[in-house]
Amino acid sequence: MRRWFLLPARVWMALFFAAPMLIVAAYGFLTRGDYGGIEQPWTGESFTRLADPLYLAILWRSVWIALVSTLLCAVLGFPLALFIARAGRYRNLFLQLVMLPFWTSFLVRTYAWLFILRDTGLVNTVLAKLHLIRAPLPLLYNDGAVLTGLVYNYLPFFVLPAYAALERLDPALLEAAADLGARPGATLRRVVLPLAAPGIAAGSVLVFIPCLGAYLTPDLLGGGKSVMLGNLVQNQFTTARDWPFGSAISLVLMLLCGVLLAGMMRTRVAKELA
Amino acid sequence: MKLRAYAVAALIFLHAPLLILIAFSFNSSRFTVWEGFSLHWYAQAFRDPQLAEGLANSLIIAALSALLSTAIGTLAAYGMWRRGAPVLSGSLYLSLVTPEIVTGVSLLALFQWAFRFLHLQLGLYTVVIAHVAFSIAYVVIVISARLRGYDRTLEEAAMDLGASEWRAFTRVTLPILYPAIAAAGLLALVVSFDDYVITSLVAGVDSETLPMVIYAMARRGVSPVVNAVSAMIVVVLGALILASEKLQKQ
Amino acid sequence: MNRRAFLTASLGAAACSRDRRPRLNVFNWSTYIDPAMLARFEAECGVRIRYGTYESNEEMLAKVMTGNSGWDIVFPTHSRLAPMARNGLLAGLDHARLKSLGNLDAEFQKPAWDAGLRWGVPYMWNATGIAYNRAQVTPPPTGWDALWNPALRGRMTMLDDPEDVIGACLEKLRLPFGSVDERDLAAAKAEAVAQKKLLRAYLNAEVRDQLVSGDVLAAQMWSTTAAQAIHQSGQIGFVYPAEGFPLYCDCAAILRESSRYELAHEFLDFLLRPEVAAANARAAETATANGAARAMLPEDPVLYPPAEIRARGVWPGALPAAAQRYRDRLWTEIKAA
Repeated sequence: MRRWFLLPARVWMALFFAAPMLIVAAYGFLTRGDYGGIEQPWTGESFTRLADPLYLAILWRSVWIALVSTLLCAVLGFPLALFIARAGRYRNLFLQLVMLPFWTSFLVRTYAWLFILRDTGLVNTVLAKLHLIRAPLPLLYNDGAVLTGLVYNYLPFFVLPAYAALERLDPALLEAAADLGARPGATLRRVVLPLAAPGIAAGSVLVFIPCLGAYLTPDLLGGGKSVMLGNLVQNQFTTARDWPFGSAISLVLMLLCGVLLAGMMRTRVAKELA
Repeated sequence: MKLRAYAVAALIFLHAPLLILIAFSFNSSRFTVWEGFSLHWYAQAFRDPQLAEGLANSLIIAALSALLSTAIGTLAAYGMWRRGAPVLSGSLYLSLVTPEIVTGVSLLALFQWAFRFLHLQLGLYTVVIAHVAFSIAYVVIVISARLRGYDRTLEEAAMDLGASEWRAFTRVTLPILYPAIAAAGLLALVVSFDDYVITSLVAGVDSETLPMVIYAMARRGVSPVVNAVSAMIVVVLGALILASEKLQKQ
Repeated sequence: MNRRAFLTASLGAAACSRDRRPRLNVFNWSTYIDPAMLARFEAECGVRIRYGTYESNEEMLAKVMTGNSGWDIVFPTHSRLAPMARNGLLAGLDHARLKSLGNLDAEFQKPAWDAGLRWGVPYMWNATGIAYNRAQVTPPPTGWDALWNPALRGRMTMLDDPEDVIGACLEKLRLPFGSVDERDLAAAKAEAVAQKKLLRAYLNAEVRDQLVSGDVLAAQMWSTTAAQAIHQSGQIGFVYPAEGFPLYCDCAAILRESSRYELAHEFLDFLLRPEVAAANARAAETATANGAARAMLPEDPVLYPPAEIRARGVWPGALPAAAQRYRDRLWTEIKAA
């Protein structure tokens, strides 16, 4: 009986998630046709091409930006999660407030930053009116803008798991620490943080993975000046029409994400969330 | 209380860009200097035929994909609740965190490969298929969350009284799940309506969605019409999500 | 309704075949047609046109390459016609159905890329040059090296297009635009990487607003976009670089996969009518390949440069596959630098 319930989902995921991934894996081992398309000789050439310093540099750059975004999300998101965990009756309200922007369109949110950061955007206009600057600050089309966009979009992904871990924290532990003479700062460092570690780890992975494969944010906010893995994949599948190479990159990206995800699933918090 | 001040600042950071976008959609001038209140850009947005068509397509796709994914996802969540299904659960999780560009190109590869034999083309239906594929995970999460606190003995009692498994499900469990199902449906609707990356790759000749139209407009420069459309999207989707949250509380 | 209009309309109605098809799918560059002309064709022939747009040849090719896209008519740039034809993507043109081909400008009747006009009907053409802010960039730029000027750091952009950027670097070094020599290309890449530090971004049509508002002072730009910017603001100037510049002609072509061969030809013939081509050129603010239409349009030195300047332009041809792959890789290197 149970099997019938699971069947539609299994079929759909097999056909439209697993099969596409397998096709991509296969394409990674084929060759590019003259003007695009896929052709016969099976070769590992696309994968060995990835070892080229150019692409390793792009991989490294993507990892770097994803790491910085994750760090910023953690630093900015943890105090927020802490606050919500202590908010008592209003917890759910605050959680909803945190998640609400996430549910409105990703494209719209990224566009909002375009609107704010341009030379004639809000920040520069306000600063100019206040006579704080004479020439507009170049806030757009650089790494800073990309990081802002990424952090803004994925902050909720960190806050939720961190909150889940903090919420489970037994207040009695904090009282005990206070009774033993610890000041709030020390309590935070030596009691709260270690106990919330699984949540922080889960949140970090949930931010890192999408940032690694980000495409729209660097595209719109980066001014085409930098290439991340997501842009590279999109480029290979459209402009360069090199599907085997694009597939190889996608596969590597998926492998990285899969490994990170598997690691995260082992944490206690992930099991709770599942 | 520094923590509270910080939290407020963080929440403002999260909401300010959207509020600013909405505020300036009422600006009569197209520059970032406030010149006066005007609904001019909204009027222009309503008159644009491409926007209208994009909206129609988005609504159709979202409705179809929400229906399908809610049905499939509810059944799957229930099946997994009774006894775990690690492979399915793992693949659902993976689909949630896979970068959209990878999901998109893999589906494109699948369709193009299949079309060699099937003589079909990309269209509305390929977008619906893609959307259902990534929405199922969201539905499963919502329904599973509701089932977690659900008492298994209710169903067992029904079966003790002679009901079959299926009837126990439809007559006992399902009614209790209705609010969660509605919530999941709304969530699937929002997620589908909002998608750009995957849709842009698998859309066909006559399946341009609203996000695709907005992206094309944004590529041609910042325009207050985009602000107006974005404002409407934020308000409508935001309302749907709040409704979904309320339903989940029941 | 005056007699002339009536005659035109009835001729138009007669031109449409009895064979009524419901829809024609046209895939064109964005802002490249007058919507009123689409409506007019729909009314005359009782068909519906589905009109889609794209921002680059690659975007169009990505959709069309599989031979299964659903589009009937596309507008590739001239250098893409031969490769597309070679890959069996295009249905050849039937001149018997294109009565108005004579309206084309003499230069485009037997173009270098398609002497027999077998594959595509020349539609609009433009060139790449430098658009600049006249008030703030003095003296006015004369060549590509103006975009390497350190004084304009952070206020310049280049196109997000490998052919244009690498080509500009090659021309700046007085090397051929279409060079496939690896040393030439390596030198061009070095120029591009050196320039990148001074650039604000790689942008296509989006930079027009920023030029008009004064954020950007100099930009590598297509003459079409520049003409649009100049119409919006008298402060903008446009120059055709002294070292040379590329010319592009977008041609209307019918896809082999299309099942509406006759209707597609009717549409192409419709586009060749002088008043239709003139209306399109006015709406798109670009240079038309239609000589009869050009006579109806005002003189515009930006869109139609004088002969001695035109002589410096080159029509890039299709590159051999290996050279194209090499350039693709160079472009990734430049972008990742």
